[in-house]
Amino acid sequence: MIRCFTVNFSILTGLLLSSALVLADDFATKWDEAEAKRIEAAELGYEWRDTEKILKSAKKESEAGNTEKAMALVAQAFEQSKDAIAQSQREKENWASRVPK
Amino acid sequence: MKQLITVLITIGLMGYGFGVVAGPEEDRIAFQKYYTSRFSDTPLDDFINGIYSIDAPSREQWEEIEEFPPYEIDIEEGQVLYETPFANGNSYATCLEDGTLKARHQYPYYDTQRQEVLTLELALNECRQSNDEEPLKYGKGAIAQLSAYMALQSRGEPINVVVPDEPGALAAYENGKEFYFSKRGQLNFSCFDCHGSSAGMNVRADRLSPALGHPSHFPVYRSKWGGMGTLHRRFKGCNEQVRAKGFKPQSVVYRNLEYFLTYMSNGLAFNGPGARK
Ligand code: HEC
Repeated sequence: MIRCFTVNFSILTGLLLSSALVLADDFATKWDEAEAKRIEAAELGYEWRDTEKILKSAKKESEAGNTEKAMALVAQAFEQSKDAIAQSQREKENWASRVPK
Repeated sequence: MKQLITVLITIGLMGYGFGVVAGPEEDRIAFQKYYTSRFSDTPLDDFINGIYSIDAPSREQWEEIEEFPPYEIDIEEGQVLYETPFANGNSYATCLEDGTLKARHQYPYYDTQRQEVLTLELALNECRQSNDEEPLKYGKGAIAQLSAYMALQSRGEPINVVVPDEPGALAAYENGKEFYFSKRGQLNFSCFDCHGSSAGMNVRADRLSPALGHPSHFPVYRSKWGGMGTLHRRFKGCNEQVRAKGFKPQSVVYRNLEYFLTYMSNGLAFNGPGARK
């Protein structure tokens, strides 16, 4: 009975641990993707003010073990840069229409 | 037939040349007309007074402030900085003599050899560096005080930015122009959205000033800053207000922006330094 419990327990912790590892791995990948998007927006001259800060706090949350929160922040940063890049493309088309004639 | 086609193409190109790609002078005339017709009570040469050119109640307060201007100490400090020789015995006056530094009202200009826009603050630091002095930090402090002292010498001089007819100069001008009219940041605003279409309206506690005349009175003493700041500091603040990442003072982007924006005020007068809320 005790043995059975131990086995179960180790399977359980194993599962928990591996899922945490997968999440951490996933986090690193997602973070890199979001950082690359930020740089892409910056090179277009369209980076938003808070994106870098959000990525920094994501790292902090991840280090503190708050993986879910960290992932949410990374997703938010990624979306910001995607929107910023779209904005740069939209503005290429539209800015000239605002010039007084 | 062939001739006819050539003629048609030529007419087409001419139409394109005149209709779509307006030159800086056409831009300036239309830009100034935009403000003078929207604020028809304001004489053209009064737009150098920013928000106070269109807002009578706050103008009175401001005129009182200007009687004992908060930037007076900064001008004095600027003069001391200006007159103190560098370690090698030279000074800013030496740079003025050899032409590497010019008077406030001769900036910004496009340097055809270097193929870039030069500004007063940039030239001040280059003068220091050519004399083995450390460059000053841009944005505020000593550089703004020096700039304030030099602005005072140029009060009343006309703004007269030249865009030489060459590709690099036109590209710098166009780059500044595109920046001015492009929406940026999370809040999706262009400079012109606030200082053009919404000029005279309120955002939070502020009333928005018209862009015409904007660069005339910098550097500025702002009570919010508790001190002097340069034009590029203001650019950065306005970018970050709409949650766009600002650029570095004296970056190419902001120099081109200064070039375009100052050209738009050609014909008005320099009246720096100024005091603002
Ligand atoms: C969300 C609105 C907003 C946007 C967008 C904005 N500004 Fe401003 N700006 C302000 C406010 C508010 C002030 C302070 C009140 C005033 O003078 O208009 C100000 C002040 C200024 C001043 C100082 C005016 C003076 O008389 O000293 C300058 C110059 C300026 N802005 C330039 C810019 C430029 C260039 C951009 C684009 C990069 C820009 N602004 C975008 C709101 C905005």
